[in-house]
Amino acid sequence: MIFRRFLLDVNESNTFLVACEQTREALLVDLGSWTPDIPAFLHGNALRLTTVFITHDHYDHTDGLRAAIEDNDARVYSGKGCVGGLPGTRVGHGDTITVGSLTGSVVATPGHTPEGVSLVLPGMVFTGDALFAGSVGGTSSGGNAIRQLEGIREHVFNLPDHYEVHPGHGPSSTVAIERRFNPFFN
Amino acid sequence: MNTGTHYAPVRCRVADCDAFALTGADTCWTHLQDRDAWRMKLADLDLNAAWLAGVDLSGRDLSGWDLRSARLSGACLRGANLNGADLRDTFLDGADLAGATFEEANLEFAILGGADASGASFRGANLQRANLVGTRAHGADFSGANLYYARPGNADLEGAIFHNATIQRTIFRHANLKDADLSGVEGSANFENANLEGVAR
Repeated sequence: MIFRRFLLDVNESNTFLVACEQTREALLVDLGSWTPDIPAFLHGNALRLTTVFITHDHYDHTDGLRAAIEDNDARVYSGKGCVGGLPGTRVGHGDTITVGSLTGSVVATPGHTPEGVSLVLPGMVFTGDALFAGSVGGTSSGGNAIRQLEGIREHVFNLPDHYEVHPGHGPSSTVAIERRFNPFFN
Repeated sequence: MNTGTHYAPVRCRVADCDAFALTGADTCWTHLQDRDAWRMKLADLDLNAAWLAGVDLSGRDLSGWDLRSARLSGACLRGANLNGADLRDTFLDGADLAGATFEEANLEFAILGGADASGASFRGANLQRANLVGTRAHGADFSGANLYYARPGNADLEGAIFHNATIQRTIFRHANLKDADLSGVEGSANFENANLEGVAR
């Protein structure tokens, strides 16, 4: 598996690239901007962008989508059909996404937004703005806050300790660190 | 800053062992027969994104090493010299870093959550966007370090020294900063529910 983080100049957002070493197909998780580093890395490593997974429909996770689609024949998946003002495929809890030999599972982590989803791949989970290192995403109500914590407990904290947690902003973490030390759960 | 990782860990060759083999070996640390020989050849390996979970490199001189994106989870680096090392995106979660030195090291996006860095020195280190969630760092020295957007939530930083450190947007939520030295720090940090008893400013 090829893995890379791109730190964007929009709101400290992260975009993550995961690619299959055999087929050279690539997946991007969130796309707050189409920074030149991304197409340069794709080109430099002979990778083909086939899939974009959007964790939630906020500008700092979607504003690079239009340019990416114009440059690549990529499918867009999110918890909403339309995301960033562009058409896409709606996915929900339990759905799978395949990129070459890699298969990811969608898990529901609503709260920060109603349609928030995370993506689990072998050894890692991409949580968008639902779960950060030592924090969680902001919510608009107490009910949404509770829903978010429940979704993380049920669908992220059930993963093995060593699984990497890659959030939409800030540093990555592990399931073990967040389960044990995240102040919102302890 | 963007660093790359190619993940290709393979399972330890020992039957029924679920751990991954170390880079430069065909077993995990637990099943590694000749640990000294493995340590000897380490300096000649490409350790960018290496799998080094659980290894014992205590007291070693790793100054200036390129360990970007390496997986050193649970490793013992007690008293090791990592001054000037490149540790961007490196996993040091749960590691024993007590008394180790990271002076002028690059730890941007490094993951030190749950590690024990008591008495360690991070003087002048780049800890921007580092994960220090639940890190125990009693008396550690962060003088002159850059902790921009770092995440020491729930960290135990009693008696730690942050003299002249940059703490802009650092999130000390629920951290224990009892008797810590925050003199001369630059920037505005989040101290929500932190223990600030006896803090020097």
